Amino acid sequence: MLSFILVILVSFVFTGVVIRTKSIASGRKGPGIMQPMKDIYRLFRKGAVYSETTSIIFQIAPTIYFSSVVMAIMVLPFGHTRGLISFNGDFIFFAYVLALGKFFSIIAALDTGSSFEGMGASREALFSMLVEPAFFILIGSLGILTGYTSFHEIFMTFHFSTYITYAIGVLVTFVLAMICMIENSRMPVDDPKTHLELTMIHEVMILDNSGFDLGLILQTTNLKFAMYGALIANLFMGNLVWYFTIPLFFMFQFLFAITVGILESFSARFRMSHNAQFILVLSSISLLVFFVILMIMNKF
Amino acid sequence: MILIYLIGTFLISISLFFNRITAVRKALVMLFLILQWAFTYYEFTHKGITEFNYFKPDAIAILLLFTISIISVPALLHSYDYIYKEKDNRKARTIYYIAMIFLIMALSAAYVSSHIAVTWIFVEITTLSASALIFHRRNAGSIEATWKYIFVCSISIMFVFIGILFLSIALGTSNDDSLHYDSLLTLAPSLNPFWLRLAFIFIFVGYTAKLGLVPMYTAGIDAKDKAPTPAAALFSSVLMNVGFIGFFRFYEIIAHTSLHSWANHVVMIAAFLSIFVATVYVLKVKNMKRMLAYSSIEHMGLIMLGIAVGGIGYYAAILHLILHSFAKSALFFQIGHIYKVYHTKNIYYLGNYFKYNLSGALFLLLAFICVTAMPPSGLFVSEFYIFKAMFAANYVYVLIPVLILLTFIIWTFAKNFFKIVFISPVDFDETQIQKINHFETVSQYALLALVIYLGLNPPVFFDNLINEAIKNLIF
Amino acid sequence: MINILLIVFTITLLYFVIANRLITYVNILAFQGVLLFGVAFFELHEINLVNLIFILLETLVIKTFAIPMFLRYVIKKNNITREAEPYLPNFASLIIVTLIIVTTFVVSNVINDPHLNKIYFVVALSTLFSGLYFITTRKKIVTHVICYVIIENGVFILSLAVGAEMPLLVNLGILLDVFVSVFLLGIFINKIGDVMQEMDISELNKLKD
Repeated sequence: MLSFILVILVSFVFTGVVIRTKSIASGRKGPGIMQPMKDIYRLFRKGAVYSETTSIIFQIAPTIYFSSVVMAIMVLPFGHTRGLISFNGDFIFFAYVLALGKFFSIIAALDTGSSFEGMGASREALFSMLVEPAFFILIGSLGILTGYTSFHEIFMTFHFSTYITYAIGVLVTFVLAMICMIENSRMPVDDPKTHLELTMIHEVMILDNSGFDLGLILQTTNLKFAMYGALIANLFMGNLVWYFTIPLFFMFQFLFAITVGILESFSARFRMSHNAQFILVLSSISLLVFFVILMIMNKF
Repeated sequence: MILIYLIGTFLISISLFFNRITAVRKALVMLFLILQWAFTYYEFTHKGITEFNYFKPDAIAILLLFTISIISVPALLHSYDYIYKEKDNRKARTIYYIAMIFLIMALSAAYVSSHIAVTWIFVEITTLSASALIFHRRNAGSIEATWKYIFVCSISIMFVFIGILFLSIALGTSNDDSLHYDSLLTLAPSLNPFWLRLAFIFIFVGYTAKLGLVPMYTAGIDAKDKAPTPAAALFSSVLMNVGFIGFFRFYEIIAHTSLHSWANHVVMIAAFLSIFVATVYVLKVKNMKRMLAYSSIEHMGLIMLGIAVGGIGYYAAILHLILHSFAKSALFFQIGHIYKVYHTKNIYYLGNYFKYNLSGALFLLLAFICVTAMPPSGLFVSEFYIFKAMFAANYVYVLIPVLILLTFIIWTFAKNFFKIVFISPVDFDETQIQKINHFETVSQYALLALVIYLGLNPPVFFDNLINEAIKNLIF
Repeated sequence: MINILLIVFTITLLYFVIANRLITYVNILAFQGVLLFGVAFFELHEINLVNLIFILLETLVIKTFAIPMFLRYVIKKNNITREAEPYLPNFASLIIVTLIIVTTFVVSNVINDPHLNKIYFVVALSTLFSGLYFITTRKKIVTHVICYVIIENGVFILSLAVGAEMPLLVNLGILLDVFVSVFLLGIFINKIGDVMQEMDISELNKLKD
């Protein structure tokens, strides 16, 4: 329960911090931290316009997308407290609930019949497909290391003791952060600020959404950021008591947001053809983590 | 003595580097030859005595040392003629001599070294000095040949090093002394077969670059083609011997383990493929030097067949190795003369050699008989023994294809050599002919005479040395 | 600590696959030199002045500074195109290199030898085979030299994996090997640049039968 509330709270300000960081990095003052939320609130008050060629799928997809992420957030634990939903193998549930939401957003994009949206959907599908093995190998190897298969127990038993666990921690953080960037279609693979439809991935998929639906989709992005931030924070919080973990959690989320902002300010987007290989590198690195863990466990 | 030899070579090279007077250069090269012979004689008289822990002249080392000392005399003396007639600059000339001397030094030291890693180092030095020789002409062709040679040899020398590392895993102990050939020989039965197998594969493949067998032979062909003829004479004889000795010493160790017959099969496959490849290319090539280079590969294949089948094959292989060195280097020296007359290496434009250079043409005929192993030649004896050994070891099904391939090679050689000697050339301008000094052919005749003499009537000490060289294989 | 360095070393291989520019390749070489220094330094059983100097010389001085600087000079002097231009797309190369790493893991699992330090062995073999693979798929001559140095780095790690105390002489020999080979090859690239226009291996196929 605790994690659910905290993640929702963080999601309100996360994008604001990212935008603020980018503004400061580029020498501007920038909007207030709550500005993205204000925009979303404005969108929530509007009605939606649906194209005549779309079907019911297009109308329900944003809701399903939103609710899938909310569902995924419920799985996340927080220090000692379990998530709202917690059972053995819940990381698979986590991944596939997210995938369900993504699936609906993809078919909704296809549903509009726009060639641009189809293109965006195809790219998004490709990247999600490539990201999936990275995520599973990573969490799976953490599962092997700790001997448990639920997020709560994995994070509770994962300790930083030797050099090698620090190395694993760094690698896992890196891969999770990159997965987060890819899932949210942010900088190294996609530029949210781009104005050319041909180079867009996520933005081009939601061109036809408007009003309430658009607000939901934007808020989903915020939630997703906060969710991955929580995942990374969990990795480092271990089994500390709550009055340590809550400030630690906010600190991690804040740092993560600033990192995202800095990354977006100082790096350029990859060429579209280089994205696939970049994402595959994440899988290769997770595979390395997997082997290293096998080696620590003397299982091989 | 080895230390004096190495330091002496080094000093001579330095003096060559700073020297600007032709007479002094000649004197320095002569000095090196004297040093080389003194070293050879010293090692001959101090057989089996270890020097500086890493060098021990055993029988095979002495045999090969004599080979290199004999061949280096005409190689260096012909270099005068070769270098001076061509108009190249002083710097290139100096580098040529230094590289030549370093090559001979590194080869000699590699022969006598008794530690597997020391052999490796000196083989490495041969790559470097040989590449300086290939680069001598400084044109597009020699750049390409040098590039390929350095690259392939560096990779293969690295393979040898990996093989040595695997060998030390097979040993199980990390002790410097245990990598001496002698201690490896005594430890051989206790080596871990898995790692030893890997080590053998890597070391064998690595040395094939020098040896001229199938996986890595390509670099050597271009090198022999593009190097100046005296250098090419060294490449096709003594430089191949260094690959052989690297392989042979490791093979002796393998022969004392359970992997002996497996190693024999590996060697036999490589040898047969080498003979096959050599035949295919000999039939096809038009470049005289490349044809001889492929013929060297064929002879190396035969030697390896002799090693692989064992029995009298061991004796024959060593004999063949030495005789082939003499015969092939003599032929390469003659190629220098042919090139001087025709200014081409392409067989298509060669011909009527009798008319232009009597002594050379006679030599070519004799050399044809020698190099294709026809009766008066010593190579006939060794090849005959190799075939006999194959017959005795029940490898008739290998022997028959090998003989068929050899027939092709002999036919091609006959066709090409007789064309050069008898048939008139295409588009040849007789007016511009350079006169060949007949005395320069004397060394070639001497080498051929050695081939015939050592083969038909081997002196007792020579015979004993060969028998001693293979004593570790016959048990 | 050594394990971390070795893992980072493997990651540099993956980075090498997706890197697009020659300068990135050279920087990876320099970084690998630093990593090798770390590995060799921690591997030292006793701090012996001769060993320390030797390791410093081989890894930091030569592999991190001398060779990359020289390669940069060669690339600049010959106006070699900055793109790496591999034959295969990087995506395929990435899959192949990952497969190489996985295979070496499996292979080293099959070989169960107490004398062998497994993680060294895996990293060494995967570096070796990746290097050979890079050579076959890269078109430029200078990338061949770079890949040669990568293979050599693999051999360096392998020699640590074996843990054999090679005599100093041998180590010096290896050092000489790398140093001279790279410099000779670099000089030849310059010469090739003088004689030929394109710096591709497609220019080096005149000698054949």
